[in-house]
Formats: sequence, structure tokens, C-alpha cells
Amino acid sequence: MRLLLAHWRAALVELIRLPGYLFPTLILPLMLFAFFGIPNASRVETANLLFASFATFAVFGVVFFQFGVGIAQYRESAWEDYLRTLPAGPLPRFGAQILTAMVFAGTSIGLIAIAAVAFADASFTLQAALRLPVAFLAGAIPFGFFGIALGYWVTPRAAIPMANLLYLPLSFVGGLWQPPDRLPRIVAEISQLTPTRHFAELTWAAALDQPWPPASWLWLIGYTGLFAMAALAGYRRDEGQRFS
Amino acid sequence: MAQPVAQLVGIHKRFGAKLAVDNLDLELPAGEVLGLLGPNGAGKTTTISILIGQRRPDQGVARLFGQDPRRPGARARLGVTPQGSDFPRTLRVAEVIDLIRAHYPRPRRTAAVLEEFGLTDLAERQTGGLSGGQRRRLSVALAFAGDPEFVVLDEPTTGLDAAARRGLWHAARRFVERGGTLLLTTHYLEEVEALADRVALIDNGRLSAIDSVAAIKARVALAQVSFQAPSVPDLPGIEHLSQAGTTITLFTRDADRLVRDLVASRAPFVDLRVRPATLEEAILNLTGNRP
Repeated sequence: MRLLLAHWRAALVELIRLPGYLFPTLILPLMLFAFFGIPNASRVETANLLFASFATFAVFGVVFFQFGVGIAQYRESAWEDYLRTLPAGPLPRFGAQILTAMVFAGTSIGLIAIAAVAFADASFTLQAALRLPVAFLAGAIPFGFFGIALGYWVTPRAAIPMANLLYLPLSFVGGLWQPPDRLPRIVAEISQLTPTRHFAELTWAAALDQPWPPASWLWLIGYTGLFAMAALAGYRRDEGQRFS
Repeated sequence: MAQPVAQLVGIHKRFGAKLAVDNLDLELPAGEVLGLLGPNGAGKTTTISILIGQRRPDQGVARLFGQDPRRPGARARLGVTPQGSDFPRTLRVAEVIDLIRAHYPRPRRTAAVLEEFGLTDLAERQTGGLSGGQRRRLSVALAFAGDPEFVVLDEPTTGLDAAARRGLWHAARRFVERGGTLLLTTHYLEEVEALADRVALIDNGRLSAIDSVAAIKARVALAQVSFQAPSVPDLPGIEHLSQAGTTITLFTRDADRLVRDLVASRAPFVDLRVRPATLEEAILNLTGNRP
């Protein structure tokens, strides 16, 4: 427990001092929300919907980059090899990464929520306030595995461009930047197959106090299984190469 | 008999076609300082990585305080230096030390660790802004931060200036005086002389010799004599000879006598140079392994 806290503290401090990390995780989603969300949020419903969209975008970014790029870089770092000589297993460090991702994702969601209430007409019922964290957490899990899989399968040099190449198009196609009904027809069709779309379906439903679409839960569970298997295969391959 | 701090029995480790470690046995009793020497690629790093639980041997048994070093509990009394010096760049020196201390049941005080390795003034500096020598000092400091009983230093003074090197030796001696056990790899014979009780030579993945420092030193204390000559004169006392064009390089235990013999032989030569062989050269000659 003491070790988990020590790693958590170190991970937080390390990232807070890294502008290259803060910008994409905290500033970029807030900025995009200010440019493309707030001007279009004339009614409570659209404001809530746009908040959910950009907050989903933020959560995707935090977990995907933290686990994806983080793991890719640590794989080739002597520091990580050194940490393995300390009297501890991998769990405190991994747990600290999860907690750290939760702090950054939570902060990013919070900033967008404040902007949505202050500068747009968003307004959340108690029910929405309780269901939204569940939706964000549920969606963060498959994308966390997605990041881990990416981190183990690509080289450190390719990690950031690769992550962006998946992050930005998936966000657009998934309908996180504009509602799916405004997407071009062909994109709207593809949208139905993306994990981002189904993550957003859950957060939209929570923000609008509508029932969760069961199909989206199933899609996300399926993606979780797929990404978890890819992550596990990548982890095993990497362990075999480095520590056999 | 007391349990050895670290023990390797019949270790084999293969990487593809290369047998990195070949049936190696090694034992470190508590309180001993063992220097591990060998040419690059001889298997020193692989041997150490097995001993500290980073790699699994293909065959054989590794023991650290009587346990499998791959179990975290076995490493509770072990301190290691990081190989590279790439700490998390935005963490401060004292924060890195604190993170490592948190892994040990009774670590040393941060201030004491900073003081001992000359890092007190750098405590608040982010590690990304440290010089190469400062990073090395931090690396070594981390090995001692948890107040371990067994420390493994892999080339600790590479890249350190003379003062920092003496500081490190001082810290290592104090550690040993407190009863610590030390395993050290190095390229410098003087470092082994300054610190070690015994020396193990590793070559081609095998333990080729293990003996007191004095005995090993006598075996590896060679001089290199080189000159230009049309042919190789036949002289006594040559341990090893190599020829590249007209440049002849000889390794001998007694350079004075070799030079006298060379002059006395009246063989023509020019451009005579004499210097002590480096540890690397001496070991290569000793082990019969040519570079």
C-alpha cells in the first residue's frame, strides 16, 4: 500500500511537470470543447450531449496515451529494467498507473463539465451525475487495454504517431466531435463498428438520462476481450524477448 | 556453515545460437567483496541479471539469501545500480531516491544518502538536467538507498572523475565495514585492488579463474611492448605476440628484461613503445581469447 502510494505520487509528479503530457490530456479536449462544443450548445440537451462527447474524447486520450505511449517507452528504458530488481512485483506500479490515469481523466472531465455548466447551458440531474462516472469507467477499460496492446506491439519511436493515427480518426468516426447524424453517410455506417461510438453511446445516454443501449454494452465487452487478448499476447511476446 | 548471500550452481543461459553462460558456479559468502572481470561479451552482465532475478537461467539454480531471486521477497536485502542513467526526467533527485527507498523495509535516510554521494546540493534538481557524472552518482546512490546487505555494482565508476571515484570507493568500503557483501564489475584493475577480496574472471560464459586479488593480479600484470621491425625476433618471456604489417606487439611479464634482450639480440627495430597492458588486454591474453 505504501509502495502503491509512492509510485502513484511519483507518476503524478512526473506527468504534471511534463507539458507534452498535460496539453493533449487536459488542454486539448477542453479547447476543442470551447471551439466546437460551447457555440453549438444552445439547449440543455445539446450542451449535455456535447459535454459527454468531449469528455469521452478526453478519457480516451488519457488512458490510450498513458498506457500506450507509456508502455512503449518503458519497454526500452533501462529504468524500468532497474525497477524490476527492486523487492516488489509489477502490481504497485501498474496500480499507480491506473490511479494516475483516473486522476487525469477525472480532472479533464471536471474541467469540461465546469465549462459546460458555466459557459453553455448544461445541467445534470443527480441520476446523470451518478451514471456518468460508471459510463466513463466502463469505457476506460477497453481503451486502457487498447493502449496496452499498442504499447507492446509498436516500437517506442512509432508509439506517438501510431497513437495519434488511431486516436484522432477513431474520435471523429466515433462521433465524439460532432453527432453521428451530422457525419457523412459512409462515415456514419463505419461509426457503428467503432469502440469510440459505443463508449459515447453510454456516456450520451447517461448525460441525457436515457436508458443505456444494451447493444453498446455488448460491443464494449467484445472490444474489451479483443484488446485484452491483444495486450496479453503483446506482453508475453515482450517478456519472452527481454526476460527469457 | 553460514548460508551464502548469493549462489549460482550450474547456470546455463543461451541466446539463440550463442551460449552466454556455460555451466557457471559462483558463491558469495556474507561480507565478501568479489570483483567480476572479463572482456565485453564474456557473460558478466547475463550472469548478474540471473543473480538479481531479471532473467531465468535455462539450467541451473540461482539463490539470493537462499531464495529464488525472481521472487520479490528474495530481493528485499539487495541493492542494484540502474544500467543506463535514464531516470524519469521530471522527477527531482530526492524524489527518485524516495521512490526507491519506499521499496525497502528499513531504508537509510534520504539526507544521508544524498550526503554520502555528494548529491545534497542537487537534491531539488530534476534528473533530466543532471550531467553524466551526476547521473552516475545518483545511480550508485540508489543501490545503497534501501540499506541493503548485498550490493551489486555494475561498472560503477565508468564516466566518473577521479574525485567522484574515490568518493564511491569510500562509500563502498564503509558499506563493507558495516558487514555488507559486494559484487562489482569493472574495467579498472585499480578499482578491484582498492575494493575486492577475491576476483572472478569470466570468459566465454565460463568462470576461468577465481582467486585472491594478489594472485589474479600477478597473472594479469602484463606489459605491452611494441615496435616496428621486419621480422619477429626470437625472445624469451613473451606471453603473447601479434603482428600487423611491420608493427609487432608483445605482451610480457617483465618488460625491462624483454627490452634488454631485444637490444642484446641486435635485431633491427624502430619506434619502441612500452606501456602496461590494460586489464582487458591482460585478461584476453590470460584466457587465450583473442580480440
